[in-house]
Amino acid sequence: MGATTDTSNETIDLTIKVWRQSGPDDRGEFRTYDLKGVSTHMSFLEMLDVLNEQLLAGDEEPVAFDHDCREGICGMCGMVINGQAHGPDRETTTCQLHMRRFNDGDTIVIEPWRATAFPVIRDLVVDRSAFDRIIEAGGFVSVNTGNPPDANAILVPKDDAEQSMNAAACIGCGACVAACKNASAMLFVGAKVSHLALLPQGKPERKQRANDMVAQMDKEQFGSCTNTYECEAACPAGISVENIARLNREYLRSLLPF
Amino acid sequence: MSTTTQASSTLISNVPSGPMQERWTKHKFEMKLVNPANKRKFDVIVVGTGLAGASAAASLAELGYNVKSFCIQDSPRRAHSIAAQGGINAAKNYPNDGDSVWRLFYDTVKGGDYRSRESNVYRLAEVSNNIIDQCVAQGVPFAREYGGTLSNRSFGGAQVSRTFYARGQTGQQLLLGAYSALMRQVKLGKVQLYPRREMLDLVIVDGMARGIVTRNLVTGEFESHAAHAVLLCTGGYGNAYFLSTNAKSCNVTAAWRCHRRGAFFANPCYTQIHPTCIPVSGDYQSKLTLMSESLRNDGRVWVSKKEGDKRHPTDIPEDERDYFLERRYPAFGNLVPRDVASRAAKERCDAGYGVGETGLAVYLDFRDAIKRDGEDVIRAKYGNLFHMYEKITADNPYEVPMKIYPAVHYTMGGLWVDYNLMSTIPGLFVLGEANFSDHGANRLGASALMQGLADGYFVIPYTLSHHFGSHSLPSVSTDSPAFKETLVEARNRVESILAVKGNQTVNDLHRKLGKIMWQHCGMARNAEGLKIAKEQIRELRDEFWQTIKVPGVGESFNQNLEYAGRLADFLEFSELLAHDAAERNESCGGHFREEHQTEENAARRDDENYCYVSAWEFNGVGETPTLHKEDLKFEAVPLAVRSYK
Amino acid sequence: MNRLLFALRSSIGRKLVMGVTGLLLCGFLVAHLAGNFLLYVGPDAYNEYADTLHKQKLLLAIAELGLLVLFLMHIYLAISTGKDNKTARSQTYDRKQTKIESNSQGIFKAWPENWMFVSGALVLGFIILHLIDFRMEFRPDITYEGKEPFEKAVMLLKNPITATVYFAGTLLLGVHLTHGVASAFQSLGTSNQWTQKCFKWFSIIFGVGISLGFASFPVWALFK
Repeated sequence: MGATTDTSNETIDLTIKVWRQSGPDDRGEFRTYDLKGVSTHMSFLEMLDVLNEQLLAGDEEPVAFDHDCREGICGMCGMVINGQAHGPDRETTTCQLHMRRFNDGDTIVIEPWRATAFPVIRDLVVDRSAFDRIIEAGGFVSVNTGNPPDANAILVPKDDAEQSMNAAACIGCGACVAACKNASAMLFVGAKVSHLALLPQGKPERKQRANDMVAQMDKEQFGSCTNTYECEAACPAGISVENIARLNREYLRSLLPF
Repeated sequence: MSTTTQASSTLISNVPSGPMQERWTKHKFEMKLVNPANKRKFDVIVVGTGLAGASAAASLAELGYNVKSFCIQDSPRRAHSIAAQGGINAAKNYPNDGDSVWRLFYDTVKGGDYRSRESNVYRLAEVSNNIIDQCVAQGVPFAREYGGTLSNRSFGGAQVSRTFYARGQTGQQLLLGAYSALMRQVKLGKVQLYPRREMLDLVIVDGMARGIVTRNLVTGEFESHAAHAVLLCTGGYGNAYFLSTNAKSCNVTAAWRCHRRGAFFANPCYTQIHPTCIPVSGDYQSKLTLMSESLRNDGRVWVSKKEGDKRHPTDIPEDERDYFLERRYPAFGNLVPRDVASRAAKERCDAGYGVGETGLAVYLDFRDAIKRDGEDVIRAKYGNLFHMYEKITADNPYEVPMKIYPAVHYTMGGLWVDYNLMSTIPGLFVLGEANFSDHGANRLGASALMQGLADGYFVIPYTLSHHFGSHSLPSVSTDSPAFKETLVEARNRVESILAVKGNQTVNDLHRKLGKIMWQHCGMARNAEGLKIAKEQIRELRDEFWQTIKVPGVGESFNQNLEYAGRLADFLEFSELLAHDAAERNESCGGHFREEHQTEENAARRDDENYCYVSAWEFNGVGETPTLHKEDLKFEAVPLAVRSYK
Repeated sequence: MNRLLFALRSSIGRKLVMGVTGLLLCGFLVAHLAGNFLLYVGPDAYNEYADTLHKQKLLLAIAELGLLVLFLMHIYLAISTGKDNKTARSQTYDRKQTKIESNSQGIFKAWPENWMFVSGALVLGFIILHLIDFRMEFRPDITYEGKEPFEKAVMLLKNPITATVYFAGTLLLGVHLTHGVASAFQSLGTSNQWTQKCFKWFSIIFGVGISLGFASFPVWALFK
C-alpha cells in the first residue's frame, strides 16, 4: 500500500463534488461542498457522515449512500471516487478506505455506480437487484433441506476447495460492473459459476447454470467482456479474471452435447 | 422501584418430558403435520434474511408453503450474518478428539453460565451435524484437508476441535449458501422477495400474529402483508450502544414493535462484549471493527505499570510493562473467556493505565511471538488480520503493538420463545439472535451461526406445521380493520417524527444514548449507575421527541427518517435493558454487576434467587414492565461455578 | 440446433465467435506474411509464388470468400457488441481512471484494449486501400499492365504516400493484435492465471512480429 504511514491525527480540508439526484426520474447534477477539518483517521464513509451532518445543519438534505457493515464484507457500499470504483486502494471497499489516502486541499469527485442495469435510486444509491436475479437464474445447488449425505461423504481436493473459495469470496458489490468500460457483469457471474463448477456438489447442474445465468445477465443489459480486466483491479474481494475464462469455458461446455 | 412478579404459569415453555437425548425426537413425532397438498394454502411471512431468516424461508418454501421474505437491505445477501468470521460448531467429532453431541451441549450450557434452557441447547447440539451436511451439499466451500475431508479447528478456548470454517469468512459463506437456497425458491415461485422494506409493526387478528406493516424504503409507501404466521429473524440489538460491531442497519424495531404488541422480551441485559476490537479513534467514529479472537493465541495483552504513561510502546522497557491478564489469571493467561478479558481491560483503563490518545485501549503485542516463531509464521497465521488492522489504523502491527478495546458484539437476550420458537403471541415465531433461548448469559464462539441455521433449517419446519395443524386459521385480508388500524398507527408515528422539526440530528442523539448505555449498562453495571441510566434514557427520549430534526419527506428514499424511527425504538427499548439489568441482582456471563463479584473480581452468580429467565411484558412507554419468570432447571448439566484461575 | 444459435447470439457466444474469427484471420496473416517474405528472396521466387497462387482459381475463390465471411462476421460482431456495450452504460462518468497500476503510467495510459474499435476500424480502412491497390488493381496513378507481381509491389510501395499509409496501417494492425490475440484466448476460455500471462506476452510478441514484418516491406521498397 502506497498510503502514508503517518499516524498522527491530522486534519485536512477538502472540496467534495458529489452527484445529487433526488430520484430515478430526476436528471441529477453535481454539487460541490467545502468540508473542513476532516480527520485523516476517518473512513471515507465517516467523512460522508460528517458532510451529511454539515448539510443537515444547513437544512439541505443529506447525501444518500448505501452502507451497512462498514467492515468490507456486506457489499452494500460502493461509489466511484475520483473515477475509480471504491477509490484508489486495491482490494478495499469504500468503507475501508481511509482519509489518510487524501491530501489537504484535494477535490474529491464522487459518483454512483453507472450502468443501465443499476439504475440510480437516489444520489449515490443504485438498484443492484439485477445481481439477485442472476443468482436466481441458477446460482445455486438444487438441494432441499433434509438429509443430504454426511458432509465427509463428498470429498473435495484441497486445491479445488481453495480455488472455489477464492471465487466464492465475491461480496456482490458491483464494483466490477462500475469499473468496466462496458458495464459488464462477467466477473460477478464468473465468480459464482466458478465457485460451484469447481465443487463436486455443483457439477450436476453446471451446464444449465452457466446457460441460465448468462441468459439472465444479457437480459439485464450488462455489457460484454472485452478483456480489459479493470474489474479485477477494482474488485475489493480480489476475484481473479481467471473466473471469467472459466465462465467462458463453462458456457462453451454447455453447448457441447457430451 | 417495585416489580410486579407474576407466577410463571403464563409462560409455558412446551419442553417435552423424558430423557434429554430423546426429547426432540419424541417432540417431532408428537407434533401435528400439515398434509403436503394443504401446505400451499398457508402463507408465511419471514422478516429478515440472515442465517435464520434465509434458511427458514428456503426450507419452508421447499415444503410447499408460500413465503414472503422481507429484508431491510437491497439484497437478502447483505444481512449481517455475513460478517461472522470465525466458524460454526458441530459435534461431528471428525478429529476423533472426544467430541460428542453431549459435550457440545454441556459446553454450551456451561458457557452460557447456566442461564439457558437445557432442552433447547440439547436440540441445538443434536442438529448441529445436520447443518454441516446441509451446508456442504449446498456448496459451501469449507476448509479441507489434503485428503479432501473437512478441516476443523479449535475456537474460543474449546478443548476439542469442532469448528468448521471457510477462511475468516465463514458467516459470509454460510449466508451465501442459505441465500442461494432462498433464490432457488424465488425462481420456483415459492418465495416472494421484498428487499428494502422495513417492518414497522405486527398485525394481530383474533389474538394471532397474522401480518405485518412495512415501509417501502425506496418509495416511502406503507404496505401491509397478511399471512398465517409471522417469523421474526431480525437479529440483535447491539446498536443500542451506538458503537458496536453490528452493521449500521441492525436494529431492535421489529422485535420491539412485537414486544409492544404483547410478545415478552427475555433477558435484555445479556449483552456480549468482545475483547479484541479496534479502539475508538474519534468522535466521528461510526462503527467498531472486530479483530478475530484467535489473535489472543499469540498476542500478549499489556499496559504500562506507570499511570498515564505517554511513551511510545516500544520505548517502554520489559520490567515496566504490566501483562495484566497473565498476572491475574496465570492458568489461562491471555486466553481467558471474552467477558473476563473485556472486564480486565476496562479495569486497567478506568484506573488510568489505558494507552493511546483516548486512554481507552490496551496493547496486544506480537513482539515475543515474532521473536519466537519468526515474522513469516505470524504472517501466515494472521496476515489478513494484520493487513486489515493496518488499513484502519495505519499502524504496522509487526513493529508496533496493536491497540485493542472491548466492544459490544452480540446480544443473548431477545424475544421470549417456547420450545417451538413461538413467542407469547401465537403465530409469531422468533428465530436466531432475535430470540433468547440457546446462549444463556454468554455465547460461546462459533455458536451464533450454528443457532441461526438450526432454527431455520431444522426446527421451524416442524414447529410451524404443528402450529398450523393445531389451529384453524381463517384467511384474513389486508383490508380488514386490524390491518388498516395498524398501518395508520405506523404511518402516524413516522409522520410525528417528521413533524418535530427540531435541531438535533439522529446521529447526535444516538451517540448520546450510546454513551449512557456504554457507561452504565456496559461491561460492568451497578444499581446506582443503572438508576441513572434509566433516568437519562427517559430524558433523552423526551429530548428526541422535542428536538429531532429529519429533513425531507416521508414519501421518498429518506435514510435519516429510517434511522430516526429505529432510534426512537432503541430509546424505548434501552430503558427495558437497564431495568432488566437492575432487577437481576447477580453477575452471570455478559451481565456483570459490580456488587456481585468475588474477591478476585470474578462474576458471582446467585442460583438460589436468579436461576430463571426474565420475560418482560410491556405496559406502556415509561411504565414499569411486568416480570414473568421461567424457572430454569438443570437436570443434565449440574450447576457449577465457572473459574479460569 | 436452435439452442446453439441462441447461445451464439448471447454476449459470451458472440465474443466466442469474435475470438474464433479473429484467430483464423491471424492464421491468414501468418500465411500472408510468409508469402510476402518471398519478396526478399527475389523477383523470381515471388513471381512464381504469385502465379501458382493465382492459378488455383477455385481454391482462391473459396479462400477469398472465407476471408470475406470471417471479416464480415468479425466486423458485424464488433459493431453489435459495441452497440450493446454502449447501451449498458447510458450515462457516462464525469471522471474515469484506471485502477490497473501498469495502465496508469506514461504511454500505457493509451493501452490498446481501450482502442480496439478504433484500431479495428482504421485497420479495416487500410485493408480496403490495400485491396484496391493489389487485389482490384484500381489505382488511377499506377499503370498495372504488363508488369510482373514483384514489379507491381515495388512500384506501389515506392510511392511515399502509399509507403506511409502501409507503414502506419501495419503498425495499427499490430496494436490491434497485441490485445486481440490474448483476448481471443480468454474469450475461448482457454486461460487460467498462468496461461493468461503467457498469452499476454505471446499476444504482444505476435502483434509486434506481424506488425514489424509487414512494416518492413515499405521500408525495403524505399531502398529498392
